[in-house]
Amino acid sequence: MSEAVASERPVKPRRNPLAYVVAAVVVWWTWFAAGQVGFRWSTFVDVWTNPLWEKFWPVPWDWVLDRSNVIDPLIETFQIAIVATVIGCGLALPAAFAMSRLTTPNGPTYWISRIFMSVVRAVPDLFWAKILVTAIGIGAFAGAWALSIFSFAVMVKLFSETIDGADAGPLEAARAAGSRHVPAVKTGVLPTVLPSYVAYALYVFELNIRASIVLGLVGAGGIGRVVEAQRSFFRFDRILGILVLVFIVVFVIEQISVALRRRLV
Amino acid sequence: MTATLPPESTPGSAPEPASGRPDRPLGPRLTRIGLFALVAVAFVWGFTGLDASIERLRTAPGDAWQIIRLMWPPDFATEIDRGVIGKVLESVYIAWVGTVIAATLSLPLAFLASNNISPSFIRLPIRQLFNVIRAVPELIVAVVLLGVVPLGPWAGALAIGLHSIGTLGKLASEEIESADHGPVEAVEACGGTWVSRVRWGVLPQVMPSITSYWLFRFEINVRASAVLGMIGAGGVGSELIAQLNFRNFPEVGAVLIITIAVVVFIDTVSSAIRKRIIAGGSAGEPSRTAELFRDLLGRRAARV
Repeated sequence: MSEAVASERPVKPRRNPLAYVVAAVVVWWTWFAAGQVGFRWSTFVDVWTNPLWEKFWPVPWDWVLDRSNVIDPLIETFQIAIVATVIGCGLALPAAFAMSRLTTPNGPTYWISRIFMSVVRAVPDLFWAKILVTAIGIGAFAGAWALSIFSFAVMVKLFSETIDGADAGPLEAARAAGSRHVPAVKTGVLPTVLPSYVAYALYVFELNIRASIVLGLVGAGGIGRVVEAQRSFFRFDRILGILVLVFIVVFVIEQISVALRRRLV
Repeated sequence: MTATLPPESTPGSAPEPASGRPDRPLGPRLTRIGLFALVAVAFVWGFTGLDASIERLRTAPGDAWQIIRLMWPPDFATEIDRGVIGKVLESVYIAWVGTVIAATLSLPLAFLASNNISPSFIRLPIRQLFNVIRAVPELIVAVVLLGVVPLGPWAGALAIGLHSIGTLGKLASEEIESADHGPVEAVEACGGTWVSRVRWGVLPQVMPSITSYWLFRFEINVRASAVLGMIGAGGVGSELIAQLNFRNFPEVGAVLIITIAVVVFIDTVSSAIRKRIIAGGSAGEPSRTAELFRDLLGRRAARV
């Protein structure tokens, strides 16, 4: 008896046969996709012997740190990001309330805003930038527009989900006391979600800083314009210098923003 | 009882009985006003850099609306002749291959970056590596890569893969750090090695969330790979650029609508799968797939 107990091992649960099918499909799909994009192991070897790497070094720091070459476009990048964040997040505040089940004024508003937002969000940010550059001309102005649209979309999504999770009690209390819709939302829901709003706004600002770096690649202003120009001259050493500078700035901003967000939430 | 209370606390003797409402505290209000002022100043300063005259501000919305009007009706026939479907699919392939590259590379790195698995002299450099990678947008990675890798979708997939390592590694290592320590101790008590501790103690706990992060990243990467085409790394972006440069707006409309449709479709399927992965289900339960399909098909019905 005791021997039997000692040798008895828990039975391994049988694996769902479907798991193998799913695994096979995923592997096949990966293999197929890899073939379609032209996956080559040799790239990982060849890339290191490419003579173009020599073009990355040495970095011409005096060129990079020159005011008109890099610093001014970098400042422009910031200006785009700030304007886009303020406009996008400002407009997102009422829109997010319309898009949450808890605070939406009525059904049609809810559905129209939801469908509209998912369409806006489905278009990549640089597509917006390129279309707006075509529409209203090359420059930072179009870039700020495009980023405003995109940060609006991101912010509405994040913030409306927060509102969904807010406590319905104060809102019910305000309604029971006879309040109309807007004051009820303002006093019942807004105070509880405002810290998350500020935290998300900072997060969107971080996203915008990153996005505004690449806007210039499609002619929408900022530091990307310099990167694009130097790329066409094959001045990869200058690009590397710009990247190092951008990295430092982005890193510092992100640390500040993360610290602020941690305090808020 | 009431007689022993000090006289101030009786309702009638309060100095100003009429003002029933307490004053708002001044400190938070000042902070709020200060923050508003700061944001306003930053906004105005930002605006000065945008070469935005009143004239431009006034005409820009009209110009943007004009473009949207020109895109209607979209010209699907021409675009399908030009193989736009294949290009959108190419974007999806790029995103998938990039995500797979990032997933395979980031998983071991994430374990090395977690404080319950690896010592600090390995952990801290890898963390910093994640931060560095995350700070460089994939388009910039692509710009650099296109210098040394031949132009095309493979370069795009590599750029996406490299960039996604940063985010995926960070999220995965946060997940690993919050894993329950119990199973790890159990494996340790049985005499398990470091590898078995990771394999049997941690991995089963964290894989569901990490897999769902991978899928989420795939959704993001589909958009990113569409963008990469704009600088010549394959996919639908090149088609959009070409048609916009030739001012063929009905074709642009068609490209946009097809892109939106594919992105929304992938988002919907992927988020349904993610929901199932996170919600889980007991082993051997036969209805999991059925529920997945019900989630996929019946989401609209379920929401109302």
